[in-house]
Amino acid sequence: MKKIYLIIAREFVERARKKSFILTTLLMPIFMIGMMVAPSLMMLYGGSEQKQVVVIDHSGIVSPRLQSSKEVLFTAENNMDKAEACKIYNAESGIFGILYIDERVGDSGNVEFIINSSSSLMLEELITSQIENIVEQEKLKERYNIDNLDQMLQDVATPITLSTFENNGTGNNEDMESTSAGINYILGIVLGMLLYMVIIIYGQMVLTSVVEEKASRVLDVIVTSCRPFEIMMGKILGIASVALTQIAIWAVLVIAASKFLIPALFTADVAATSDMMLQGVIGTLGDTAYIAQLFVYLVLFILGGFLLYASLYAASGSAVDSVQDGQQFNTIIMMPIIIAMIVMMSVFNDPNSPVAFWASMIPFTSPIVMIARIPFGIPTWEIVVSLVVLYLSFIFTTWLAAKIYRIGIFMHGKRPSWRELGSWLKVK
Amino acid sequence: MDSILSVQHITKSYTQHKALDDLSLEVPRGSVYGLLGPNGAGKTTLLRIINRITMPDSGCVLLDGKPLTESEVFNIGYMPEERGLYKKMRVGEQAIFFARLKGLGKHEAERRLREWFSRLDILNWWDRKVEDLSKGMAQKVQFITTVLHEPKLLIFDEPFSGFDPINANLLKEEILRLRDRGATVIFSTHNMASVEEICDHITLIDRSRNILSGSVDDIRRTAGGNIFEITHRSSHEELSATLAGLATPLGESRGIVGGYTATKIHIPHNEDIREVIRRLNDRCELRSLQEMMPSMNDIFIRAVNGTLK
Repeated sequence: MKKIYLIIAREFVERARKKSFILTTLLMPIFMIGMMVAPSLMMLYGGSEQKQVVVIDHSGIVSPRLQSSKEVLFTAENNMDKAEACKIYNAESGIFGILYIDERVGDSGNVEFIINSSSSLMLEELITSQIENIVEQEKLKERYNIDNLDQMLQDVATPITLSTFENNGTGNNEDMESTSAGINYILGIVLGMLLYMVIIIYGQMVLTSVVEEKASRVLDVIVTSCRPFEIMMGKILGIASVALTQIAIWAVLVIAASKFLIPALFTADVAATSDMMLQGVIGTLGDTAYIAQLFVYLVLFILGGFLLYASLYAASGSAVDSVQDGQQFNTIIMMPIIIAMIVMMSVFNDPNSPVAFWASMIPFTSPIVMIARIPFGIPTWEIVVSLVVLYLSFIFTTWLAAKIYRIGIFMHGKRPSWRELGSWLKVK
Repeated sequence: MDSILSVQHITKSYTQHKALDDLSLEVPRGSVYGLLGPNGAGKTTLLRIINRITMPDSGCVLLDGKPLTESEVFNIGYMPEERGLYKKMRVGEQAIFFARLKGLGKHEAERRLREWFSRLDILNWWDRKVEDLSKGMAQKVQFITTVLHEPKLLIFDEPFSGFDPINANLLKEEILRLRDRGATVIFSTHNMASVEEICDHITLIDRSRNILSGSVDDIRRTAGGNIFEITHRSSHEELSATLAGLATPLGESRGIVGGYTATKIHIPHNEDIREVIRRLNDRCELRSLQEMMPSMNDIFIRAVNGTLK
């Protein structure tokens, strides 16, 4: 058994001191934060320039009350006729489009938007909702003749914020954690993506490195010192220890940020903000115990998922002579991982759907799907069952892979067929 | 004969061909044992079977008269034909890694390695990466990692390929030195000169079979067929007349310095040698007589062509 430690140690030292490892370990958190922050930053600052829209309003009620905003600038040209406007405000005029409202808009509800370039959903929504409001209020005024309608409407308008809490059975919400679907969604995606990347990147590392050892004939030398199973497990565990080291470093960084950085950054400001979503995010990220618990699950599922797939990658690597040949096996191994990613995306609509449940139990998809479900609050027994199934399957795939590996590493030449691989399994 | 390794009736077939066919051989303890044969004869397969990398279809390999155990196999020093080193690893660290896999402690491994490295004059490679070494250089490193744990059985597959003559000689000296320190060395080769210089015993494998086995001296003498070279002062006709009934001159004579002539003769019966010498001495001014051993190269070619004996 001492030999397997030597192999693990070699794999670990050779990889962990590479510059690329140190760089990815440090840059990855920055990249992840960037991915999380980028969409909101883009919404805030990246919005495109103000679009000029010419309004031809033959009803006379809409155009005076249209509000220009950062996104769109309305210019009234009520005396123009539609055909004329189309001629003048063509693509060269720099005008984005022409909004044509006829006299009967209150009855028909039809508005035409004639545009010079491609429209966006957001812009269309902005325009329809404004016109809807205007027409609605105008009709109220006109048909029911209520005084001070504007004031009354303003008076009764109440924006609603939905605060979601986990049911702790007491009904006392005061000190309960708020569980916003938004933050769960983000955590689920980050954790799922992390697992996906670790399995793919480190799994392929196993494949490449087995192929290299085989092609360079280093294996021929090592097999005269130890058993093929020790060599295979040594490599898998060595690479796993590299992956875990990387995650441990990230965990320390994130937990430290949760403990010190988040409380320091958001103390008074958070209470002041009315944005519940932001409060939820900060509340969750500032909950160090919760973050630490997530990392424990993350490590368990990453280890299980990686070990499950790594043995398959090792077997594939042993069967071929070049990384290119290995790609064909790689594609097949990737399929359940990609299915897991697709299922993971559906998890966010309903974390407790039958698909989500079963996909987080079946070992090949379970690590990714389960880790994405965990932030939504999953019964512990489900997590335990999923882990047990995962680790039992790892023992099975490793046993299977070892049978292929010990024959494959000595086979040079053409890529074996499935039938040949099957026959290797039968060799005693 | 005290044999350290005994290969008994090994047969190994692959789908297209038979690699080894009922092959047996005995390796005497403390010998340098050469495994000769044309390309594809089955030498490497045999070495891989001895190391239990490949399993034979039938037959067995005995070490000290007993079937090989796993730990004994792990103790054999085996250098495969295709050199296998991690390209990205530094030479010293890599050598220590292999030595520790063979069971040496870290410090003991480093001490022995530094000793070997300085003797082979490669100490300055210690911190270089393997990918920066030439093929011959990497082979030296591989040789050292193979022998470092001082196994009693050493197996080299084509150890001289890729070496220049100077380094090939260095390797020969090291192989003999290892033998003198008690190791048994088996190696496969095409290099016939190396066989004559360092092998005690050989086996010639051709088309999956053992076609010739024995000590090098015996084989050369047997294959030699009593050919002698004499130097003398007489014409070809005089020589023929002198030797009539006892021996026959072979081929052309050639003149050498001092007016002497060198001629190869064949003496069919050993007991006639003294009589031949007496007559030559009396009538042909015999200056020297020397038994002509055929080169291993000749024997190799003749054995493979089936014209030996």
